Amino acid sequence: MIAISHCSKSYPSQNGEPAIPVLAGLDLTINDREFVCVLGPSGCGKTTLLRLLAGLVLPDAGELTIDGRPITGPSPECGLVFQDFALLPWADVLANVAFGLEVRSVPPAERRARAQALVDAVGLAGFERHYPRQLSGGMQQRVGLARALAVDPAILLMDEPFGSLDSQTRRALQEDLLRLHHQNRKTVVFVTHSVDEAVRLGDRIVLLSARPARVEEIIEVGLPRPRPDDLGTSPRFVGTKEYLWKRLKRQAAAGTGANVI
Amino acid sequence: MPGGRTASRRSGSGAMTRRVVTRTAWRVASLAVLLGLWELAGRTVDTLLLPTASATVGALWHLAGTREFWSALWISHQAVVIGFPAAAVLAIPAGLALGRWTALDRWLDVHLSMLLVTPKSAIMPLIVMALGLGLMARGVTVFAFAFPVMVATTRAGLRDIDGRLLEMARAFGATELHVWRRILLPGTLPAVATAVRLGLAQAIAGLVAVELLLVAVGLGHLILTFQADFDAASVYAVVCVVAAEAALLIRVATLAERRIGAWRGDAVHT
Repeated sequence: MIAISHCSKSYPSQNGEPAIPVLAGLDLTINDREFVCVLGPSGCGKTTLLRLLAGLVLPDAGELTIDGRPITGPSPECGLVFQDFALLPWADVLANVAFGLEVRSVPPAERRARAQALVDAVGLAGFERHYPRQLSGGMQQRVGLARALAVDPAILLMDEPFGSLDSQTRRALQEDLLRLHHQNRKTVVFVTHSVDEAVRLGDRIVLLSARPARVEEIIEVGLPRPRPDDLGTSPRFVGTKEYLWKRLKRQAAAGTGANVI
Repeated sequence: MPGGRTASRRSGSGAMTRRVVTRTAWRVASLAVLLGLWELAGRTVDTLLLPTASATVGALWHLAGTREFWSALWISHQAVVIGFPAAAVLAIPAGLALGRWTALDRWLDVHLSMLLVTPKSAIMPLIVMALGLGLMARGVTVFAFAFPVMVATTRAGLRDIDGRLLEMARAFGATELHVWRRILLPGTLPAVATAVRLGLAQAIAGLVAVELLLVAVGLGHLILTFQADFDAASVYAVVCVVAAEAALLIRVATLAERRIGAWRGDAVHT
């Protein structure tokens, strides 16, 4: 279980102006094996929340714990998938997927077998010796996903992983992620700014407020898993999307109001 | 699909071979025109100071037959053989260290900047005063010419590495050793090749400068002797040898650089 309580974080601004608060007393609990989508206006602090969970930054105040243990730095329990893929351009697909295993001193033979299994699982068999520049964006992010899964983390942290992909590729990767999640349930924290994506993927959707971020609302999606093929036309799917759209629009309006005052 | 990829890559490399041939043809043509113009100018101006291209080639032919020329070539290169590897072996680790550890860079950056902007010829007299007119002084001069640019280029290469990769490594719990092995060293390698190429060009500049200005041995001595004899064709011949060698070495270094940086890729195969 991930528990975030009264978590605050600000970033120092340039020119000696006061620090910019990004998170202000955020509370959130995420259960084991749950798929949580974090949704909010752009620049609201979604990525910061994820970086805190990954142990890449520490909070100014408040506490983050995984199974009761406070997060003090990057933990082997978490696997990260990055928005910009963050693949090593000089390493081939197999070496990129094996990166986390190598860092964790997994013996070479086992490393290779495990990396190969994940390359197959994300549908990249036959591309093991290709370099990132030879792959499309969607294939590159498949490598990113395989790299995160290779270390078999209990928690998968995904930072707008499909944000830079075209809509068709995005849908294909969403389907694959759902399939992989169904086969091997992990806790997933998935940051996105797409309402459609959040409803399509998540068990729960955490709606954040504009910066500094607090949890504005938590929405139970309540759609069956595996997600039905006619998901796009299901009334619950459409209704939830509609509701979230309205909430986001209101939030944006409120945000501008606050800025004017 | 895989078949299609191979085919497209093969035709791609064929196009590249054609490109290389075309480029070489242009270079040869351009050189031929230069030689033609030179020959023409040499014949029309008719002065002792501008030999014709043919006279220069003749002088080169004659030089190549003398023991004096080959021994001068060897003597000059001793300085490069000593000075350049020493510069590379020290400059590349120094550049890596300065690129990685900002605290170190804060201390040493000002010194490197000074070395970079100081005209190297200005420190040559100091080197000769300290070390005399021997091989040591020439080797150190070559070192002084090649070292700063190699440090700076390596440092810049390391800093150029995408910070997001370093964050990725940190998120996966990579140790400093892993970060060096998998990210910093492979990521800096193309810049190191560039550093070697730039350093080599500087080393040859240093070699000629010290021999012409201070320690009259080797090729420098040869040039000065021919100059005193008003044998312009031979002066030009020696200069051509140095230029051709530099061009050749830099060409080799450029090829190595491209090969090492192949992952950066000129063409995207998708």
